[in-house]
Amino acid sequence: MKMADTNSYDAAIDQTAKDAYFTASQGQLIWTRFKKQKAAMVAAWVLVVLILSGIFAPFLTPYDPTIAGRDKDYLNGAPTVPHFCDDNGCSFRPFIYALERERSIKTNFRWVTTVNKDKRHYLKFFVEGSEYSLFFMTFNTHLFGVDEGYIHLFGTDSTGKDIFSRTFHAINTSLAVGTIGVLIAFVLALVIGGISGFYGGWADSVIQMATDAVRTIPAIPLFMALAAFIPDTWSAEERFFFISIILGFIGWPTLARRVRTHILTERNQEYVLAARLCGASSGHVIRKHLLPSFTSYIIVDLVISFPYMVLSETALSFIGLGLKDPVNSLGVMLQNVTSADVLLNYQWYFIPVVFFIILVMAFVFVGDGLRDAADPYGDTKK
Amino acid sequence: MVQFLRFAFIRLVLAFITLCLVSFIVFSLMEMVPGDCAERYLAFKNSQGAQISIADIEAERVRLGLDRPFLERWTGWIFNAFQGEFGDSCILRLNINQLLGQKVWLSIGICLGSLLLAYIIAIPVGIIAATSRNPFLNNGLRLVSYLGLALPNFLLALMIMLFSTVMFGDSLTGLFSPQYRDAPWDAAKVRDFLSHVWLPVFILGWSATAFAIQTVRALMSDEISKLYVTAAAARGVSGRRLLLRYPARHALSPIINSLGFDLNRIFNELPIVALILTLTEAGSLLIEALARSNDQQLAGAIIFFLTGSIVAINFITDIVLALVDPRIRRSILG
Repeated sequence: MKMADTNSYDAAIDQTAKDAYFTASQGQLIWTRFKKQKAAMVAAWVLVVLILSGIFAPFLTPYDPTIAGRDKDYLNGAPTVPHFCDDNGCSFRPFIYALERERSIKTNFRWVTTVNKDKRHYLKFFVEGSEYSLFFMTFNTHLFGVDEGYIHLFGTDSTGKDIFSRTFHAINTSLAVGTIGVLIAFVLALVIGGISGFYGGWADSVIQMATDAVRTIPAIPLFMALAAFIPDTWSAEERFFFISIILGFIGWPTLARRVRTHILTERNQEYVLAARLCGASSGHVIRKHLLPSFTSYIIVDLVISFPYMVLSETALSFIGLGLKDPVNSLGVMLQNVTSADVLLNYQWYFIPVVFFIILVMAFVFVGDGLRDAADPYGDTKK
Repeated sequence: MVQFLRFAFIRLVLAFITLCLVSFIVFSLMEMVPGDCAERYLAFKNSQGAQISIADIEAERVRLGLDRPFLERWTGWIFNAFQGEFGDSCILRLNINQLLGQKVWLSIGICLGSLLLAYIIAIPVGIIAATSRNPFLNNGLRLVSYLGLALPNFLLALMIMLFSTVMFGDSLTGLFSPQYRDAPWDAAKVRDFLSHVWLPVFILGWSATAFAIQTVRALMSDEISKLYVTAAAARGVSGRRLLLRYPARHALSPIINSLGFDLNRIFNELPIVALILTLTEAGSLLIEALARSNDQQLAGAIIFFLTGSIVAINFITDIVLALVDPRIRRSILG
């Protein structure tokens, strides 16, 4: 009696699982397959953490990343690492050593910074600091800080700006540039690829020819030529939007091609024919049938193209044509490592590079995982 | 044979149209840029102390033919471009052919070299990655090839350069040793060139290889699970013979097809790498023209050259594919 119960219970579970599988939307199926990939899941978590820390950068970092937040007594300063224990005993609250600056006959009349190991500055949480705005509101609480002096987890740069603060703000900027670029590329791709794929025929041929022509132009040299004409008088914001738009225009042809291929294969399916026979208009077919059939694939394509946006931004900024110093982007941070002085003396300038590599790697892994997950035949292979 | 020639001819016409289209895009973008050659030239004169009036600028415009309508100037430009004549540079006031000279060919040569390097590495490695069941090898290769994407060329170039400056006192930059820079080509100069050129080729090939490994791996794993491979295995073909005779041959044609776009990607990275490695002989003229001096005429010519070589590669690969791939051959002849 009991056996039969469990059996029917199992069967019921089995049935719900099957129902869930067969009624699952494209997105749910992709998500189920995605969860099975360990590397991609780890990368996804890293990515979420990075994106969140980019968004909440002003709260997470102790100082203003611009010249306003600089520590003018500690230029090119090494990272101040928090300690728990030293010769003077231990403390639960992490502390950093006080820095003392001195210029006398002893130091040959140059400013020399020394670490005073006997004086501690304790790390405090939720300290009041410089004002910042987040989600249109103004705050002045920062996650951590010290009550006296400054804390520089990643050191400072040549003007005394805190590299830790700059790095997190840079992630924010680079992600924003990438997002705007991807969105512009996406809209262009959707319109151009959509028209080309849906109408087919000569419109398709002409658009494909134009797309191929655009694709043969090496984008970066061309846009370098255009970016060079940005007037110097433009503000940081204007440059920022201009660069994002340029990146969008670099990115669309590949996406447009994918959209076209998706639509071309889908529009000859029976369900589209059925909808047309029922008298549905083109607009209705596109909105209700074609778009839902490949939105998930398009999202995957967007994630895949995202790291290339970030890379292009860094490349442009790196050669000095993209964003410039008051703005913090990863490209600007990377530009700062370009001297032998940095390699020999100020190695902490390389810390943002590590973040940059992690960010791009995370995006590539997630994109790859999504691509595998979005492949409907992925499970049947191997 | 006749059909094949007709196919080649149609491809040639298509390539020509693409090139015209591209030149139109490039030309109009260069037009959109504020200011023109006349203003730039006279601004230069002004900085040398000469007094310039609006009338002077107008006169210079007429002299350069900048007052004529856009379409007329474009057709003139493209006509000359196909004859290998690009006019004078805006700023340097020199004939562009003279300025570019062998530099363009050196740049294109370096890029082709990196493309070759990328595929020499990527084809065997990609095939191994697609066929091996060893998770360590697979994940390791994946990690390395992702690193090729995430560690941009310019950063790699910089690291190598700084490292070698600090370690060996030689910055490894440039393409020639000073004594060979203006020397005519001979065996010694070629040797000197080769001893310098490996670094840019390696750096440009770095991310190209990463891309190529990904492509080869994806194509191979697509092909390897197909039925004809199973059928061949059932007939008793196995090991390397099976891989090379069946899936590898099929995977080859999409790769050949995409060579042009691989080259495009390398061209994208050339100017930045050239800037860091101070390859004055090749890419830095590009940077100079594009970014520093706002020289429309020169920039247009360089981009035209680069695109032209991509279009040429696409044309050649189309023809080669038709020759080697029986499926395409049949579709032309049939």
